Amino acid sequence: MTNLLASEFRRFRSRRLVKVLLLLEIVAIAVAGVIVYLTQEYELSSFPDVLKGSSLVLLSVAWMLGASAIGAEWHAGHVTTILTWEPRRGRVMAAKIVASLTSVFVLSLAVQAVLGIALAIDAAGRGSTAGVDASWLSEAAAVALRVALLSSIFAGFGFALASVGRNTAVALGVGFGYLVIVENLVRGLRPQWTPWLLTDNAGLFVVGSQTDVPLLGRTVAGAGLYLAAVAVALLLGASGTFRARDVT
Amino acid sequence: MDAVIELEGLRKEYRRLRGSRTVAVDGLDLSVPSGGVFGFLGPNGAGKTTTIRCLLGLVRPTGGRCRLLGHEPADLHRVIGRIGSIVESPTMYPRFTGRRNLELLARIDGIGRSRVREVLEQVSLADRADDLVKTYSLGMKQRLGIAAALLKDPELLILDEPANGLDPAGIVEVRELMRRLGRDGRTVFVSSHILSEVQQTAERVAILARGRTVATGPVHEVLTAGHAAGLVVRLDDVAGGLRALAESGIAARSDDGVIRVDLPPADAARVTRTLADRGLYLSELRPDEADLETVFLELTGDAPKETG
Repeated sequence: MTNLLASEFRRFRSRRLVKVLLLLEIVAIAVAGVIVYLTQEYELSSFPDVLKGSSLVLLSVAWMLGASAIGAEWHAGHVTTILTWEPRRGRVMAAKIVASLTSVFVLSLAVQAVLGIALAIDAAGRGSTAGVDASWLSEAAAVALRVALLSSIFAGFGFALASVGRNTAVALGVGFGYLVIVENLVRGLRPQWTPWLLTDNAGLFVVGSQTDVPLLGRTVAGAGLYLAAVAVALLLGASGTFRARDVT
Repeated sequence: MDAVIELEGLRKEYRRLRGSRTVAVDGLDLSVPSGGVFGFLGPNGAGKTTTIRCLLGLVRPTGGRCRLLGHEPADLHRVIGRIGSIVESPTMYPRFTGRRNLELLARIDGIGRSRVREVLEQVSLADRADDLVKTYSLGMKQRLGIAAALLKDPELLILDEPANGLDPAGIVEVRELMRRLGRDGRTVFVSSHILSEVQQTAERVAILARGRTVATGPVHEVLTAGHAAGLVVRLDDVAGGLRALAESGIAARSDDGVIRVDLPPADAARVTRTLADRGLYLSELRPDEADLETVFLELTGDAPKETG
């Protein structure tokens, strides 16, 4: 299992999509850093809010990476090749999930760290570092950690859908359709169901304060646990499907 | 002789969306002995790849049993380290180098880089190993697939159409490689619809049609299956030869400049004596053996027939 896991980690980080998206994020951060530097006096104390604001991009990228980790493998036929090396499908699936979700977690933290460094340079150069103390650091770290955890959970959603659909596009299409269309319809037509919507729970988990998202009647940890439970359920379903279906 | 592959009444049906069913493999029985090259022949759609997928646990049989190195598909993990395989076209990451592709697979089994180098040399890809796979020709990709199958130094190789896309030189290389592996005591189970390839490399064959085995056994036995054993005689005076044989009560006929004699090869001396007694000297005498292509076409169009 260790060898399989090591191979999956290497496979994940070798993917072109991972490299391209990572590069795009870093370029975007660099450009934003330059723009901020030139146009305003940035106050580093607002960094946790920047992290919250930019989480949508990270979560979208995470969904895409999770979906592509298995969808592209199905599309290209690599699943067949891997199963001729390790026929225990449960292990193959577990290794892929662990490698993808862990890698997304680390990448999400890394991107947020790069963003922090870029803004720290801005603040040190033209802005202000007032209010940057231990409690600020603690808050920033907590937000970054929650966004990274949520990135892993969203990668899990994408992975599960792509695994069942055997295609990355399925996961992206279903994800977009559900999050943007279905959840908005539910929010409008059945507001009492709001506590079960992924976007609202994700919002609460990222914001990290019940007072800002009072409708859910759920704690921040509760929102995280609910989202994790949904991801686990989807991944278990995907694993069951993977074990049961023919690989043709 | 131990069987490395055993199939008993293997059946695989695929359900279609509208509820109809397609039978890909229909009660297939097969036993592949250990060692040597075994040809698994059949036209497209005969069920070769589905059979291989069943063996490797990729698809679940609808009925029957299959065992690989004595293990059912559910226990395949116990023996998978002794099996190398290619199923249809080998799939590799096009944006990785050939070497990196192999290293990724090797990592799964804890195989070292020296073995990767060895197999790359074995399939003559060492000088292109560090090029991206997307720059490879179809034949090179096929060779890379064979290299991947060889990584585990397997005792059983299952190769699904390994000559697909190869140029003539590549075909010869693969043929030699299969022969060499077979001679080394490994079992090479090779599916193909290129009959001449199998005829030149395999010691035993099974012919598949519509999901069933229609002939199986040593190549020479399959070649004579359904054919009256006979002899081919070549001599200058065909008419005289036919008269001489007829006078001796030997049934023979002229066919495209040669005489086909309805006697088993064991009675060849009777033919030479009969002709020599009449002053007719032959320039060629050989068993009247159909080539595999003829047998294949006959068998795949006919009812099942067992030999050997």
